[in-house]
Formats: sequence, structure tokens, C-alpha cells
Amino acid sequence: MNNKNNLQQNSIFTRWVSGIIENQKAFSGSCIILFFALVAIFVPFFINSPTDFLGTPLSPPSFEYIFGTNGQGQDVFAQTICGARQTLFVGFSAGILVVIIGALIGGIAGFYGGRIDDILSLLINVFLVMPGLPLMVILASWLPPTPGTLLGVLVLTGWAWNARIIRSQMMTFRNRDFVSAAIISGESNIRIIVVEIMPRMLSLLASAFIGASIYAIGAQVGLEFLGLGDISTVTWGTNLYWASNDLALLTESWWTFVPTGLSIAIVSFALTLINFGIDEVSNPRLISERIWRNKVPKELINHGITPVTSQNE
Amino acid sequence: MNNPIISVNNLSVEYVTGIKSVQAVHNVSFEINSGEIFGLVGESGSGKSTVVQAMMRILPPPALISKGNVFINNEDIMAASEADIINFRWKKISIVMQSALNALNPVLSVREQIHDVLKIHKGLIGIEADNRAKELLSLVDIEYNRLDSFPHQLSGGMKQRIVIAIALAIMPPIIIMDEPTTALDVIVEREIISKVIELRKKLDFTILFITHDLNLLLEFADRLAIMKDGEVVELDEVKNIQKGGKHPYTKKLIGSIPSASGVRQKGLLTKPDKLTFPKDPILEVKDLEKVFQSSNIFNKQKLVAVNGVSFKIFKGEIIGLVGESGSGKSTIAKLVTRLMRPSAGSIYLNGKNKKVTESRNVPLEYRKTVQMVFQDPFGSLNSIHTVYHHLARPLFRHKLKDQTEMFPYIVHLLEKVGLTPGDKFAKKFPHEMSGGERQRVAIARALSLDPQIIVADEPTSMLDVSIRMDVLEIFAKMRKENNLTVLFITHDLASARYLADRIIVLKNGAIVEENASEKLIQSPKKEYTKQLVTAASPGWLSSLGENFEKKEEYNDQ
Repeated sequence: MNNKNNLQQNSIFTRWVSGIIENQKAFSGSCIILFFALVAIFVPFFINSPTDFLGTPLSPPSFEYIFGTNGQGQDVFAQTICGARQTLFVGFSAGILVVIIGALIGGIAGFYGGRIDDILSLLINVFLVMPGLPLMVILASWLPPTPGTLLGVLVLTGWAWNARIIRSQMMTFRNRDFVSAAIISGESNIRIIVVEIMPRMLSLLASAFIGASIYAIGAQVGLEFLGLGDISTVTWGTNLYWASNDLALLTESWWTFVPTGLSIAIVSFALTLINFGIDEVSNPRLISERIWRNKVPKELINHGITPVTSQNE
Repeated sequence: MNNPIISVNNLSVEYVTGIKSVQAVHNVSFEINSGEIFGLVGESGSGKSTVVQAMMRILPPPALISKGNVFINNEDIMAASEADIINFRWKKISIVMQSALNALNPVLSVREQIHDVLKIHKGLIGIEADNRAKELLSLVDIEYNRLDSFPHQLSGGMKQRIVIAIALAIMPPIIIMDEPTTALDVIVEREIISKVIELRKKLDFTILFITHDLNLLLEFADRLAIMKDGEVVELDEVKNIQKGGKHPYTKKLIGSIPSASGVRQKGLLTKPDKLTFPKDPILEVKDLEKVFQSSNIFNKQKLVAVNGVSFKIFKGEIIGLVGESGSGKSTIAKLVTRLMRPSAGSIYLNGKNKKVTESRNVPLEYRKTVQMVFQDPFGSLNSIHTVYHHLARPLFRHKLKDQTEMFPYIVHLLEKVGLTPGDKFAKKFPHEMSGGERQRVAIARALSLDPQIIVADEPTSMLDVSIRMDVLEIFAKMRKENNLTVLFITHDLASARYLADRIIVLKNGAIVEENASEKLIQSPKKEYTKQLVTAASPGWLSSLGENFEKKEEYNDQ
């Protein structure tokens, strides 16, 4: 089986990984996300409990509490770090689920076409026209406030758009020759979808995942800020909820909401960087145009005509 | 006459990508005299379009002209400013692009598109512009009531003629034609070319004609430059090149053109010593019909793609299915390979009692018997899998070979289709191979199940001319060695003549004529077949009359 292992070299996944590592944008974005994930997983074991009453409420950043304390006298540093745990977990889980459900429903609709497509498209369209935000607010306030509920609400309101995109992409792949060739060689439909087509959609699926994760983190924080999550847990959303509840703006205690807000912004920024990176990895033209702009002297770049570097020697 | 109207000296073009730049064009020089038809021939990737686009300075990033100069009408193009260039395009030189489908704006009528050019370059508006537009349309034999048509209402040939009319709008002394007829059917292509030649006679402009089709240029060009890998390998008068040329590459190009007229050249493709077929057909198609219905509920439209086609194929036979685009030949391929269900009719495999079109699920046995080779070697292989995967999957699926036998068998298959060393090729990904190599992999995949019938849908039309015959030879050899049956689908009568034993000519989804290859070529019975045969024979242009013969002065220069 040595042969077979050799054949796997340079497969699409290794090409992707090396592409991401070599791409500056994707690499720095991934590093930031990785940093946040590692901090969220491991650092809580070594710091104060985020729910304990520790010091004077609303004391500004100091050596003892580097991000200060909030209205309940809790350590903001600990809250920011522990809040990352659930927020990122729910956000990325929602991202993965949205992509999986979207790929499944959109993929099947696009591949089989006909009546199956009619029914699934109807389902997708119903979810698309439903107003997402009100539905999210109603569901979140009606169901018991647990992380699971939040996840469910986010996935339910978020999957349809991805399913729609994946369906159209699948429809274009469905009529490609390599799919016909696989059918003629006797492959089963499921295998064709999973092994032949899905890997070709990797860039679409990856950016769908990133997009869905950004959306899920934002929506989750928004819901919790409105008090629709479980306010006894520590997340970035509840941090902001408590900050606003304790009148952080009126008391001018900026340290209670800036660390959390900044974290959300940095995570979204990093995810967007990864998305740009994926774009460049899957579409090399974007990179080569940038290199071209760096290499060719500025005064030669003229919108309408091809530049000439040197006259005849 | 002594002063060339275009002169290109040591032109080099780079594509700036990554650390190293790619040299697309290297030190290309040629001169074109006024009134001449100059041909630029090359296969895909030879840089022929890049040269012309660099001359017009319309190459998009990441291109960069790194060396050389170009003089058109004694104007230095490389030193010109943007304003000069914009002023210069269309007035002095215009270009007819490859695909008329893309060159015309689908949401503007023909009138508006002609008016656009006239307004920008000549300031003509209203009735004046209208009159000029009518003149231009009559030049290319299109009735002026077509002025208000939109591109989608016109046929491919009409669109191409309108693009030519727009190129002529300001009467530039030079017209560049970049593969103007590639997307068109042979008969339409011939019409367009003869129209261009006629117009040149009347209006006396210089033509720079770019194509991959050497055969076509030999008909009407005065001088030719042959390009390969970004360099001009040969530049000579047509009559010298016709004799075979000096460069080995030219010789190969000239030698690889099958012809549909005259005596059949011997030895171009392998043939079995004697052709005898069994009495019972291996595959019989009866009254096959395929109707496509648009699903629009307000406007139900029917398109009959295949209309009552019946034919028989015998074991070990190669049948050529010849037709132009829209003749239904690819639909027949999909019906026979059962990628599609026919609307009516039936397909019998191996004798009368096995009617195969009844069930929706296709049995594996049928898949094993009938395999297909597709037109596009770039699309028919999955870019994320290795060659090994492509060949091994069918064998796994049909449980023909177990793990230990697999690799040697695949290496053997690859070497059989001319990919040596097979173990190296097995590990390659599609993007690491050339078009010809990919098509060989696709053929190996079709052969891997040891099928009895192979449906080859235009297997060579996307390949470079110089390797087409080599690929056809694989089919000829497989037939001789394995008694393989081939349904060879093509638009090219000449290559069908050389590969197939019997030719079926299709038009609008129905069979026009069917006969043994040589008989059909030598004595076609139907008018349509005659047209096809004439269009595929050399000398078709001068046979149209003395108007189309070449100017003697260039021939004797």
C-alpha cells in the first residue's frame, strides 16, 4: 500500500494547507483565530473565576485586575477570556452546522433536479423569505435560554442562504463532463456528490463556513445583549448585556465593554482576512494582479493600455 | 509597397506572476505589406493572440511588454500615449474577436452597436449614422431590417458578419481577425471567409488573420508565420509552406491534416487487413427521439433534438457520426451511453431481445459494455484526483481487479495509450499534463473496463492539430487489436473518413445519408453531403471563381 500513500501526496487538501500557510492574509487570520481558541480553551484554568465577587465594583484597570472590575465586582479580564469559550464554540458550531445542512439540502436539490429540487427549493425559499431577525428574537425568548437553544436558532435562521448558493453551484457541476464520466463508469450518486463534487466546492464551502461563523457570532452576541440568552452564563454577549445594565456609559467605566467589544471585532476581522485569503488561494489571478502592480513601475501603469518597460536597446 | 504597413521587431511579452515571470512571446518579428493577407498560425498557448493584443496594447494585467517595438503606419505604438492609442484604435486598425457571441452586447440592438462606433470615432448621429449602418450591412449581405434585431435573434454566422461590418465601420486600412470562424460550422465558416476575401477585393484593406487552422490559411493567405511556444519558427510565402516548409514543426503540421478530397492517403491510420463483421449488430438504435421541453409554464417550447434516428453497429466496426452543431450528434451520444432517457424509440444491445431503455436504473453490466470519451479533456477529468484514481475507481466499482493487481494493470493501460512511463503518469494530477495527455488518460479510463463499445464524442476537436491523428490512432489500434466497436462522433468529415468504416451524416436531428466512408466522400448523393464534402476539401476557395484567386503579384514576389 506504499504506492497508494504516495499517490495521496499533493492532494487537494495538502495543496490547500500549503496555500493557506503561504498566503499572508489567510495565515495571519488563522493565527489570530488559533490564538483566541487556545486562550479560550486553556487560560480559564489559571485565572480568577469570572463569576466571583472579587474587588470594588467598577474599579479601573490596575495591576491586580488588568482590565478592571465590572458593576458586580467581577474580574473583566477573566470574563473576557471565559466569555470567548461559549461564544466561539457556539459561533463555529453554528458555522459548521449551517454549511453541513446547506451542503446536504442544496447539494441534493442541485444534483437530482426535477421534483426533488422543486420540493427542496420550496423549503429553501420559505426559509429565505422568513424575516430572520424577528424569528430569531421570538424563538430565543420563547425557548428555554440554553446554549443549545441559541445554536438551534442560529442554524435554523441561517442555513437557507448557503443551501441556495450550494444548490446553484451543484447544478453547474452536475452537467460537467467529469460527472457524466463518473456516472458512465457506474459510480453511485452519493459517491459522486461526496467524493467527486464536494471537494471541488472546497473554496465555496470554506468561505460559506467563515461567513456563517461571522454571522453566528454577531447574531449570538446581539441576542444575548438583548437579554435573550442565558444571562447567568459568561459570554461576550452577556458581558455586554451586564455592562449596559450597569450603566457603563453613564458611569464612564469604558473598561467593562471595550475588551469584549474589541475581541469580537478582532475575531470578525481575522475571519474576514481568512476569507480574503481563501479567495486568493482559489483564484490565483487576484494574487498575480497584485504582484504585477508591485513590480511594474507606477508611472507605466495606465488604465487603458498595456505597459512597456523598455524601448529597444 | 516597399514600406511595410505593420512592422513588429523583437516583440517580447511577459506575464508577471509569482517570483518568475512567464515569457509568453519571445522576440517575435514580422512585417506586413499593405494590401496583404498575413496569417499567424499556432496551436493553443503559442502566443499568437498575445502578439496581436500587444500590438494593440490591449493586454490586461498581469501582462507586460518587456522588449521590442511595433510600427503601424509608421507610428511607434510602444511610445504612444493612452490618448494616441485610443484615437488610433478602430480608425487605423480594427479587430474582429474570436467569439461573436461575446463581442456583441446582448442587450443592445445591432443598430445601437453600429451607431456607438460611428458616434465615437466619426461623430455621425441620426440619419447619417443610419445610412452608414445600412451600407455596412449590405456589404456583408445582411438585410437592413435586421438593424433592430438583438444578437440572440441572429444565427452564429450572421453575428460574425455583423462583427466584421462593425470592424469595417470607419474603413480602417488594417483589420485583425483573431480566430473569427473557430466557433462556426464548416459551411458557415467558408461563407464568411469568401465574404471577407470579396470585401478585401472591393475595399482593399490589409488583413492579419490569426488561427490554429493551418489548412484554412493555406487557402487564402499570402504569407504565413508559424508560431510555437512564443516564437516564430517559420515565416514564408504560402506556396513554400504548402510544399512542406523547412522547420520540422511545419512539416508535422502539414502532414497531420487529413483531407476529404482526392485519393485516400495510405497508412495515416491503422486498419485491419480485412473488414468482416458478424451478421447481428452489437448495438441497434431504432426510431430514437429526444424532445427537450422548456419548463416555463407560460411559454411551453419544444425542441426536437433527435428525430427518428435508426442505425446499427456491428462488432469491430467504427462508425462516424458526422454533423454540424445542432445536428443532435451529442444528444445521440448521451442517449446511447444512457446519460439521458429517450423520449421515444429504443436501443438494443447484443441482440434483439435486450431492449435497454425501459428501466430508469442502468445496470452495471450496461455501463461495463458501453463507455464514453468526452470532447473536453480539461472538463472530463476531475482536477482534484490523480490519474490513478480516475482509472482505479471504475475497476473497484465493477470488482474487476483486486488491490494487488490494480497498480500494474493501470500502468499497463497507460502505456497502451502511449503514456510512458505509466507509473509516473499514474501519480500525476490532471493539471500537470497537457491536453493531449489528458485525453489519453480519458481514453484509458474508458478502456479500463474492457468495454465492447466506445462512444467518442468529438475526442480530438479540443486538441492541437499536430496531435489529433495520434489520438485517433489509439482508437484505430484498439479496434485492430481488441476488436473494439467505436461510435465516432465528429463535425470533421475528413477525420471521419480516415477513422471510420461507415459514415452517417446528420442534420437537424435526422439522418441525411449513410454509406461506406470512401463511397460517401467520393460520390455523395444528397445536396447537404455535397456541401460538407466541398467545404472540407482544399482548393474550395479558388473553385468559387476567379474573384477569389490569389493576387499573382504576391505569389511571385
